[in-house]
Amino acid sequence: MIDTQSTRASTAAELTIATPEGVLFRLPLAGPASRLYAMLLDSAIVLGTVNGVGLLVYWIFSKAPGFGLMVITLAEFAIGFAYSALLEGYWNGQTIGKRLFHLRVIDQDGLPLRIEQAWVRNLMRVFDALPFAYLVGGLSVLSSPLMQRFGDRVAGTLVVRQTPLAAPVEEFWMRQKYNSFMDYPAIAMKLRRAATPELATLIQDALRRRNELAAYARREIYRDLATYLQTEISPFPDELLERLSDEQYLINASGILFGDQRPSRVQG
Amino acid sequence: MILDLERFQAQARPRWRDLESLLAALEGRPDRRLNPAEAEQLQELYAHAAADLNRVTHGALAHELRQYLERLVARAYAELYYAPPTRSEIWQPRRWLRIFTAFPETFRRHVRYFALAVLITLLGCALGGLAVRYDPASVDVLLPADYLRNPGQRVHEEEQGQGQGRHLDSAQIEAAFSGQLIRHNIEVALLAAALGVTFGIGTALLLFENGVLLGAVAVHYTRQGFGLFMTAWLLPHGVFEIPSILIAGQAGFYLARLLLRRREDRNLRQSMREWLVLVAGLAMMLVWAGLMEAFFSQHHAPVLPYGFKVAVAASELVLLTIYLLMIGRREIGTASRSSVPSENR
Repeated sequence: MIDTQSTRASTAAELTIATPEGVLFRLPLAGPASRLYAMLLDSAIVLGTVNGVGLLVYWIFSKAPGFGLMVITLAEFAIGFAYSALLEGYWNGQTIGKRLFHLRVIDQDGLPLRIEQAWVRNLMRVFDALPFAYLVGGLSVLSSPLMQRFGDRVAGTLVVRQTPLAAPVEEFWMRQKYNSFMDYPAIAMKLRRAATPELATLIQDALRRRNELAAYARREIYRDLATYLQTEISPFPDELLERLSDEQYLINASGILFGDQRPSRVQG
Repeated sequence: MILDLERFQAQARPRWRDLESLLAALEGRPDRRLNPAEAEQLQELYAHAAADLNRVTHGALAHELRQYLERLVARAYAELYYAPPTRSEIWQPRRWLRIFTAFPETFRRHVRYFALAVLITLLGCALGGLAVRYDPASVDVLLPADYLRNPGQRVHEEEQGQGQGRHLDSAQIEAAFSGQLIRHNIEVALLAAALGVTFGIGTALLLFENGVLLGAVAVHYTRQGFGLFMTAWLLPHGVFEIPSILIAGQAGFYLARLLLRRREDRNLRQSMREWLVLVAGLAMMLVWAGLMEAFFSQHHAPVLPYGFKVAVAASELVLLTIYLLMIGRREIGTASRSSVPSENR
C-alpha cells in the first residue's frame, strides 16, 4: 500500500489546489492515451452524426444536390467544433467520449470550465492537430507539467481523471466483541504506542486484502507480520500464541491499534 | 496519531452522503443556480468535508478515504466558487445578436494588431510583386498552382467556360463549391488566429506568405494586360476574404501579446471573449466571401460586365469599412469594459 502510493505520486501528474479555507486537495490529471481514446470515440460519434444528417440533407435537397453538398460540408465543419465545445461547456466538461473514459475538462483553478474556455480550447485544435494525428498537441501534453495541449494552455483548462469513487466500506472484522489481547493490557498498550502509523496501515491492509491474496501468500505474509510484531514490538506470552492463528493475531493487533478496544478500558 | 477511522467514518458518513446527493442535484442543473437554503447547506457540508479531509492522514483506509474526500471537496469547491451564467443569459437571442456589434467594437479596440497584420501582408505583397516584376521566372517558384502561372490561358478558359461548360444546373456546382470555399477559408483563418500561440511567429509567416502570393498574382496578371479581368475576378469576394485573413492575423497577434504578458496581468476571461468575437466575426465574413466567390466572381464579361463587378466590389468594401469603423459604441476606452454585459455576472 505504502509502496504503490509513493510510486503513483511520482509517475502520475496531479494538480494541487489550495482553497481559501486552507484545504489542499489533489486532482489526478489525465494522460495522453486516455484522452486520445476519448477523442477517437468522439470523432466516430461526430462522423456518424454527420453522415446521419447527410442522408437527411440529401433527402431534403434531392432536387438540388449541390446545395445539399454545401449544407453537408458546412454542417460537418460546424458540428466538428460545436460538438465538443457545447458539450464541454454545458455538460460539466464532458463529451460522450470523455464521460465514457472518465475524463473531465475543468478550469485550471479547479472550477468548472466556462463556455468561452470550451470554445477556445476546441477551436485551438486546428493548431494542436498539426502536422498530423495531433502531434503538436501530444508533444505539448507530454512536455507540460499539467498535461495541457496548446488549446488548454490558452484557455486555461486541463483534463482530469474522474473515476467514480465511493466511500470505503466498513469491514466486519474490525468490530469483534472479544479480543484476547485485552487480557494483557500492559503488552497491548506497548503495542499501541510502539506501532508506527505505517505499520498499522500495513497490518490492516494485509487483513483487508485477505480475499485478494493467494492462500500460500496470505499464510506467508501473515506469518511474517505476526512474527515481526511478536519479536520486535510487543511479545505476548506463549500460552496465548498457541491458541491464535497468525491471522487472528493480526486481527487482534489491528483491533488494538484502530478500534476503541483500548487496553485501559473495560470492554462490554 | 492513529485515528479511529472506522468510528470517524461512521459519524461523518451521513454528512458525506448529504453532500454527495446535494452535489449530484446541483450538477444536474444546466444553470447550476442554488437557492439560499441550498447555498447554506452546501457551505456547511463543504466546511465539514474539508475539515474531515484534513484529519485523514494515516491508516489503512486513509488512501481511499482521502481520494474520496478530495473528490468530494473538489466538487463542492467547484460549485461554491463558480458563478454560472444564468439560463436567461444563455438563451437570450439578443445576447447572440450582440455579436454583430461586438465584432466591430472588438476590431477597433485592437486595431493596432490589425495594423501589424496589414503591414506584414504588405511587405509580402511588395516582395512577391517586385520579384515577379524584375524576375518573371520567379513566377514558377512563387505561384504554386499551374493555372495561376498562365494568365492568358486562364482568362480564355474562364471566359469561354461559361459558354459551354456551365450548363443548366451550374448553380448546383457553385453551391457545392461555395461550401468547400467557406470551409477551407475558415480553416486557414482559424489557423492564423491559433498560430498566435507560437508568439505570433506562425501568424506572421502565414500572413507574409499570403501577401507574397497576392502580390505575385497581381503583378503577373497586370503585366500581361489582364488587370481588369483580375480585379473583376478576385475582388468581389476578395474585399471580404482578404480583410478577414487580416483580422485572423489580428486575432493571432492579440493572442500572442496575451501570452507574452505576465500571468498575473492576464485577464484571461475577457481576452478569450475578445479572441472568440474576432474569430466569429471573421467566420461570418468568410461565409459571405465564399458565397460571392462561387456565385458571383466566376461569371465573366459577356454575362456580367467587368465594370459592374468592380463596382459591386467597391460598394462591398465601402459597406465593410462603414461596418467595421462605425457600428457599435464609438467610445473605445471607457465603453469597452461595460460593453460586455456578462462581465458582471
